[in-house]
Amino acid sequence: MTDMSKPSAASSEKQLRPGLWATVNERYPGSMIHKDDVVPLAQLKKPISECRVAFLSTSGVQPKGTLPFDTVHPVGDYSFRRVPSDADVDDLEIHQLKYPTFGADRDLNVIFPIERLRELRDEGVIGELNANHYTFIGYNMDPVELELTLAEQVAEALAHDEVDVALAAPA
Amino acid sequence: MIRGPMSLAYLKEAVENGDQAALIRYVRLHVGDGSPEAGAKEIDKAWVEALKALITMPATDQQFIDDTLKGQDHATLAHLFFRLHFYLVKHSGEWIHDGHV
Amino acid sequence: MQRAAERRGIATVSPSVARDVTEHAKPPRAVFLPFMMGHLFGVPFHTELQRHILMEMISLLETAEESGTIRDLDLSWAKARKEGKEIERRASQ
Repeated sequence: MTDMSKPSAASSEKQLRPGLWATVNERYPGSMIHKDDVVPLAQLKKPISECRVAFLSTSGVQPKGTLPFDTVHPVGDYSFRRVPSDADVDDLEIHQLKYPTFGADRDLNVIFPIERLRELRDEGVIGELNANHYTFIGYNMDPVELELTLAEQVAEALAHDEVDVALAAPA
Repeated sequence: MIRGPMSLAYLKEAVENGDQAALIRYVRLHVGDGSPEAGAKEIDKAWVEALKALITMPATDQQFIDDTLKGQDHATLAHLFFRLHFYLVKHSGEWIHDGHV
Repeated sequence: MQRAAERRGIATVSPSVARDVTEHAKPPRAVFLPFMMGHLFGVPFHTELQRHILMEMISLLETAEESGTIRDLDLSWAKARKEGKEIERRASQ
């Protein structure tokens, strides 16, 4: 295992779908995020075993019975859903068109590891799980709108929940 | 590599310039999961599916249609149009939207 | 979104199956997995692998010193699939 902040030919070759950024950006000009800078790291104030953890996901996972994510709108859906961290996987469903769900359809933990997180909590690896995880869809044509609205709203909700750590998973 | 224009800005610009080709390409990309060729077929598929549903002239709720068209705003109807496209495509039984963009 | 959270003092870490996308977006901390899209945590019912990836993410939270760090894990999609099939074969017996 190596830590690398710079692109490496060897590891890029391992990407199953090479050139994804360029492909999507060619099809949907400007829809892909590109940053020239990095954000300063927030420092952990306590051990993970004492932290409150939330899972963020572009998977489109949502509780059955909540308004389905809008997967057909031509410029995307900038809303989010709260998924109770104690939810039964059978009470959740996926509304998303843009990634293969054949694995997640059989075991949701492949994309949304809600059961594994509960196990880590029960074992004391992580302090506690936030009452809710947060989900949205990845199909959004305007990264500026996404940063100004969805990202700020979810970050604000996490701060309100006094979350220490967020595991943020793009599908 | 395009880094400047955001996609929404690109679309708005196309609307302002009357760039019909760019807008058609975008719609086809959207309904074709990133492939304009697939998108064109998908649009045909939706229309054929709609035609097939009506070819035996079953009774339909024309009052509902009229009320909806008169009672809803333009954007809601446009949104519904996208929903109906995907509804008809799904009804056709041939579904390409499995995430393999 | 990771940036918005970090600015509020919330530490984030992200799994990624697209290293190039991650290199462009430069999230604070990321773990690269050479897996298929939609399969960040591997394959169905391979709980050990799913857990391993979460543990690696947590470990990176504790050890990353520079923002923009991408950690590459010594995993392979072919191996994960093979192990997943074996787990399912055993479970069906």
